[in-house]
Amino acid sequence: MLTTPSKKQPMLFFPEFRNWESAWALEALYVVAYEIRILAERADRELAFNGKSPEKLKGAGSFLMKVFGVLAGKGPKRVGALYVTCQLFKIYFKLGTVNLCRSVIRSIETARIFDFEEFPKRDKVTYMYYTGRLEVFNENFPAADHKLSYALMHCHPHNEANIRMILKYLIPVKLSIGVLPKDWLLEKYGLVEYNNVIQALKRGDLRLLREALEEHEDRFLRSGVFLVLEKLELQVYQRLLKKIYIIQKQRDPSKAHQMKLEVIVKALKWLEIDMDLDEVECIVAILIYKNLVKGYFAHKSKVVVLSKQDPFPKLNSKPVNS
Amino acid sequence: MQPHFQYSLDSKASYDNFQDQQQQTAPQGPNSQFPAAHQVTQSYQSPLPNAPSLDTRRVNMMQIPTNPRIASNLALGLSKTDKDGFTTDAAAKPAYISVSMPKPNNKVLSNDTTISMLKPGKFPNSLCRYVERAFNLCKDETQRVACQAIMKEIITKATANGTLNTLDWDVEPLFSIPNSEAVNVESSQYSSPVSSLPKYKRSPSRRSKSRWEPLPEEKSVDKSVSISNDIVQYGGWARKASANSESKENAVNNVKFSLLEQKLPSKNNQRPAKRQHLADGLNAANNDASSDSDKEQSLTAYYSSAKSIANTPEEKKRRESRSKRFEKGQGYRTEVNYFKPKNAGAGNLYSRRARALMLSKSLDDSGSKAVEDFDWDALTVKGTCQEIEKRYLRLTSAPDPSTVRPEEVLEKALLMVHNSQKNYLYRCDQLKSIRQDLTVQRIQNQLTVKVYETHARLALEAGDLPEYNQCQSQLKTLYAEGIEGCHMEFAAYNLLCVILHSNNNRDLVSSMSRLNEGTKKDKAVKHALAVRAAVTSGNYVMFFRLYKEAPNLNTCLMDLYVEKMRYRAVTCMSRSYRPTIPVSYIAQVLGFSSTSDGNDEKDSDGSGLEECVEWMKAHGACLTTDNSGEMQLDTKASSSSLYMPEPEDAVAHGDANLAVNDFLTRTPL
Repeated sequence: MLTTPSKKQPMLFFPEFRNWESAWALEALYVVAYEIRILAERADRELAFNGKSPEKLKGAGSFLMKVFGVLAGKGPKRVGALYVTCQLFKIYFKLGTVNLCRSVIRSIETARIFDFEEFPKRDKVTYMYYTGRLEVFNENFPAADHKLSYALMHCHPHNEANIRMILKYLIPVKLSIGVLPKDWLLEKYGLVEYNNVIQALKRGDLRLLREALEEHEDRFLRSGVFLVLEKLELQVYQRLLKKIYIIQKQRDPSKAHQMKLEVIVKALKWLEIDMDLDEVECIVAILIYKNLVKGYFAHKSKVVVLSKQDPFPKLNSKPVNS
Repeated sequence: MQPHFQYSLDSKASYDNFQDQQQQTAPQGPNSQFPAAHQVTQSYQSPLPNAPSLDTRRVNMMQIPTNPRIASNLALGLSKTDKDGFTTDAAAKPAYISVSMPKPNNKVLSNDTTISMLKPGKFPNSLCRYVERAFNLCKDETQRVACQAIMKEIITKATANGTLNTLDWDVEPLFSIPNSEAVNVESSQYSSPVSSLPKYKRSPSRRSKSRWEPLPEEKSVDKSVSISNDIVQYGGWARKASANSESKENAVNNVKFSLLEQKLPSKNNQRPAKRQHLADGLNAANNDASSDSDKEQSLTAYYSSAKSIANTPEEKKRRESRSKRFEKGQGYRTEVNYFKPKNAGAGNLYSRRARALMLSKSLDDSGSKAVEDFDWDALTVKGTCQEIEKRYLRLTSAPDPSTVRPEEVLEKALLMVHNSQKNYLYRCDQLKSIRQDLTVQRIQNQLTVKVYETHARLALEAGDLPEYNQCQSQLKTLYAEGIEGCHMEFAAYNLLCVILHSNNNRDLVSSMSRLNEGTKKDKAVKHALAVRAAVTSGNYVMFFRLYKEAPNLNTCLMDLYVEKMRYRAVTCMSRSYRPTIPVSYIAQVLGFSSTSDGNDEKDSDGSGLEECVEWMKAHGACLTTDNSGEMQLDTKASSSSLYMPEPEDAVAHGDANLAVNDFLTRTPL
């Protein structure tokens, strides 16, 4: 049975490993850690298939935590800690118990014994990738940007699959802070699902954005970026308003800074989006509130009065205020 | 009782001696128990009464919850003691020490009866011993007669089962001997719960089994099978809790070690004696208008003596065999957990359960049994009560069929609750008891779904979130089993709950991803999704529009977020609007106006307007009146003065609906 061998080997190897002074057996430990995760995954699949509850992966997780504990001491063994951490991350992400990552992360980041730089590169990249993903979940975009970018930078350029994975999360993050990727990037790594999203952002095309989100909804939900992308709606509105502003400026520069609500409603109607005055007023209010539009709204006259200077400030790598 | 207290005057020394003895004997192996026992016996005179002199620290460490049942049960042992004269046996042979002690004569009689009853050679030796043990428990003639009858039944049954020779009678626990009164009772259908413990004070022989055995008001047949029950219970219960049973098992196992069969009666004697010891101390506590410390001390004594048994090699062996019993049938464990076998309330229940156990035990003794292998149907309670109205009482033991309502009655009860005009607490209470009856009878069908749905809806209307969550989780499992119900409605509620209550994006995303295509098309679910979008983007206009046209009870869930949404909205407006906003507009947009659509008269808005003004003021908004007399929100000033006030009706237990007064005035509902 698949389940039995996975328990025995590490049980025999691990206590011995603990006793060895030097880190000569680290490579072997890596193999063991990797295998235990893979085997546990397969075992769980089999268990689930037979209608029993899949507990093996959880068990693998706790075992690896112990391993981590051993490695997290002084001595040459500690360079292995990051590898084990990454295996743990993979397990937790798979199980969905992402909150368990917190303790491991805390150990790595705050413990004085760990010097992040001395870990092997491959581990660092993986680590940054996973922690970056966690930041995305928490919508902590600057941090997510930093981590995922680090991972991207240090990732081996030939490792396309990995780069793709990193980009899958990095792109929504970058979009949220107002940075658009080049088209060839999406093409090269086959991330076509973002194509329309980016188009929509460029054009201020709300309808396109909503369509794109609906089309790939399942994929986005599964990877967890759906909410991030949804938040891009406000940026799309901003773009739309900016376009209206530009057109108005061309027609009559002196009056351009005043935008009638009706005009916005009309524009939206052209996009086949049916919103009434109250709703658009609300959206405008939100835009102003979040500093995507500088100015104010005069309720009586139903006019958006835009600031004369830079009425549509760029995000400049800062996320939209929440 | 006097003798005990005399003993208690003994110094601790004797107890220590005893312990030393134990340690000495321990490594020597079972056979050496015999000689050692002699010495031990002497010093064992009063380990129990001695215990009170032990420090209470031990008591604290043990943290024994005083279970009145235990105390009173053990008290039974004491009364027997009184009757028999403890002193005679007091050269107390602790039962766990296999000892060949001279025993009182009355046991000899039973031997004869035993032998006469069994045709030698036809029955296995272990069975003979079993019978002997049983007879030894009988105090008087009536009991012995009853015992004989029971024995016959058991043996007949075992023969019929084919287990006569396969059952290890040595380890079979004994059935409970009915006391004189009980013997006269018809052992037919037993319906009323046994509550009168005092009745048993006179027949402590029952205490030969673990405290958790069913009381003997059962059919004789039941007894044989309830015994196998006990095996389960022994296996399942905590170490010290089964100290009592250990004593018996010790005796039982000792049978194996014993070289001479005639030792048996004496060993049997030990058992009661030991029990009496323990019971003694306890009852001493009980009877003397017991102070807590007395009770604790006696309990301590009880456990301490149990602990001292703990490390003999014999004991270790027994533990091993006990744990093996565990492995044999995983189903046993589940049995233990499934029922709380305290009251003898349901004779039927026990008989059926135990019968199933016997069957399964004889079927397959090796390998673990899955829960599904058991004949659960034979074990479920079938209710007989006809009352439509029934208060909810939390069960502490297996339920009595006469208090459980069958399905038809429950349907009527549900209808009654539906139509009832009484307040939430009453209906909640009734529903809880319906739920309990359903659970106990393991009814999982549309009726169950309806009940849970009703309760969930009621809870939502009343704003009782914890209750709602309970029902919701039950409904999830029921729906997952394919039972029909208002899936969509509750899927929508579920979604709304996640949206409105958790700040966790991951939960939200996973709930959303779990919706399938069909669900997403449903009106209620669509509404919930739209609410989600509105909340995420802060679109208050949308939110309150959805609020007005919410299907089912979505409003109730949205209600929980209304306050927050309004605050977000006003904050947003204060920053973006200049110079002012008419309050009437705010009232309209934030759902303050009365619900009559299309009714634009000032009156209909009047109440909404006032409410709005009040709300604004409570949140620190700056209101002005303009030239035409209309109230306006001064946005610039408000943007810095808005705040979220403390909820006024915050109650300590968090739910204003469940006011204390309501609880106290429950009865005249």
